[in-house]
Amino acid sequence: MTNSKLIIDRVEVRFGETLALAETSLEVADGEFVTLVGPSGCGKTTLMNVIAGLQKPTSGRVMMDGADIAGRPGHVGYMFQKDLLIPWRTVTGNIVLGAALTGRATSSDRAAARSLAARYGLGDFVDHYPHALSGGMRQRVALMRTLAFHKDILLLDEPFGALDAQTRLEMQQWLLEVWADSGRTVLFITHDVDEAVFLADRVVVMSARPGRIQAVHEVAVPRPRTVDTLMTPEFMELKSRVLAGLYHKEAK
Amino acid sequence: MRFVRSASPLLAILLVLVIWQLAVSVLHVQPYVLPSPHRTWQALLEDWTNVRTLAGQTLYESVVGFVIGTGVGFLLAVAMSHLSIVHRVLYPILIASQAVPIVAIAAPLVIILGYGLAPKLVIVGLIVFFPVVVNVLDGLSSIDSSMVNLARSMGAGPAKIFLLVRLPATLTPLFSALKLAAAYAVTGAVIGEWTASITPGLGKDLLLKNSRLDTAGVYADVLLLTAIGLAGFLLMTVLENLSTPWRTRGTARRWFRRSASPDTKGPR
Repeated sequence: MTNSKLIIDRVEVRFGETLALAETSLEVADGEFVTLVGPSGCGKTTLMNVIAGLQKPTSGRVMMDGADIAGRPGHVGYMFQKDLLIPWRTVTGNIVLGAALTGRATSSDRAAARSLAARYGLGDFVDHYPHALSGGMRQRVALMRTLAFHKDILLLDEPFGALDAQTRLEMQQWLLEVWADSGRTVLFITHDVDEAVFLADRVVVMSARPGRIQAVHEVAVPRPRTVDTLMTPEFMELKSRVLAGLYHKEAK
Repeated sequence: MRFVRSASPLLAILLVLVIWQLAVSVLHVQPYVLPSPHRTWQALLEDWTNVRTLAGQTLYESVVGFVIGTGVGFLLAVAMSHLSIVHRVLYPILIASQAVPIVAIAAPLVIILGYGLAPKLVIVGLIVFFPVVVNVLDGLSSIDSSMVNLARSMGAGPAKIFLLVRLPATLTPLFSALKLAAAYAVTGAVIGEWTASITPGLGKDLLLKNSRLDTAGVYADVLLLTAIGLAGFLLMTVLENLSTPWRTRGTARRWFRRSASPDTKGPR
């Protein structure tokens, strides 16, 4: 692959004696949407932490645009399952958090945050505190905060895991819209196979103890995808293959 | 409803006054045992010029001791949460400091610090700093570690993380402590005056009037001391509401909205 945005090159993570993530390599193309699916304890989050620079790998490299970013934070946008909005900052204040933490949130940052909120349906809530928002709205703000951090790569660690099924489906479609608008490269962790297949260009299946990549599936389902996509034969077929892989490994 | 809610503290005070008056008149209590509210008020007015300056002195001791004690308490909590060695060494000492009866330590404090302002400030400080330490430590340790990880993943340094993520999280528990401390500070000042007293103050005055069986005067002083403590408590409540608007409001106050010009609001 010549247009790789991100190259995970033989990354391995040990915590003392425990092998949390066995030697893992993965290349992600510029603008690609990759989902990682696997049981808990398969090292998904460990891998994300390595890419985000929160965790130094025991060995291996993470190359972004030709530079090694392993163990060096501040190069990617990271979003967690919990929205982690700061209760004392308004929606605008939360969206510009990245700028505030790394320097100063300027008035143009704030203006950009407001228009971002307006574009994605939160224009009336820019001065609200997070506690006055619903779970889905909070998660939207968290994603906007990640977008407003202006990084090419977004790491999303089960961002919709805590939402109810209906909100979740809405958020998935919204995320695809945002992704199409922004042209960012996305790595998305989930343990929901439906979600993994629905969103991705490629689904990476991981297995546990030690965490490693077990299989990679290309998703040949055309875009744009809608709720109807969930019922197409291609989708069903791919979903059953991913499920079979997961189930097969865990039954052993 | 709103009127009843805001008036209810006043009604409560009125209720206490009524019960007090009834107790005195129905049970025929002698004025030197328990003066009526009216007599107490009379005593306060008669001695007002004298009592006013004494109250100023006690207020001064309370406020300065409060500021020093809560300030030291806050800094200790921050140091303890950042350096576990400080926490391990200091925590048992702090607990022990609270086990020492304040009245007992007041006398030796006079030997060390003399009869001036210093021992009073130390006593007030000793009383008020502990709730601040405990509450601020609680606030600092209640911060979600993934919140800190998020900030780190954005490349933020420890100073920025402290300022934007940790520090504001201490405000709510800090004010709970400050409200307690504001009321305790007056108690501290009075204890200080009782044991280390050649400078005048309400506490000293109270002892003097007590020895003359001027019970109405004693109650007048008590009323003033209570008023000082209440005022401190109310002031802290107002400051709390101003500095933690997200706890009581859904949206930011208009004058805190930066660059809230309509042209940046975008389409509705």
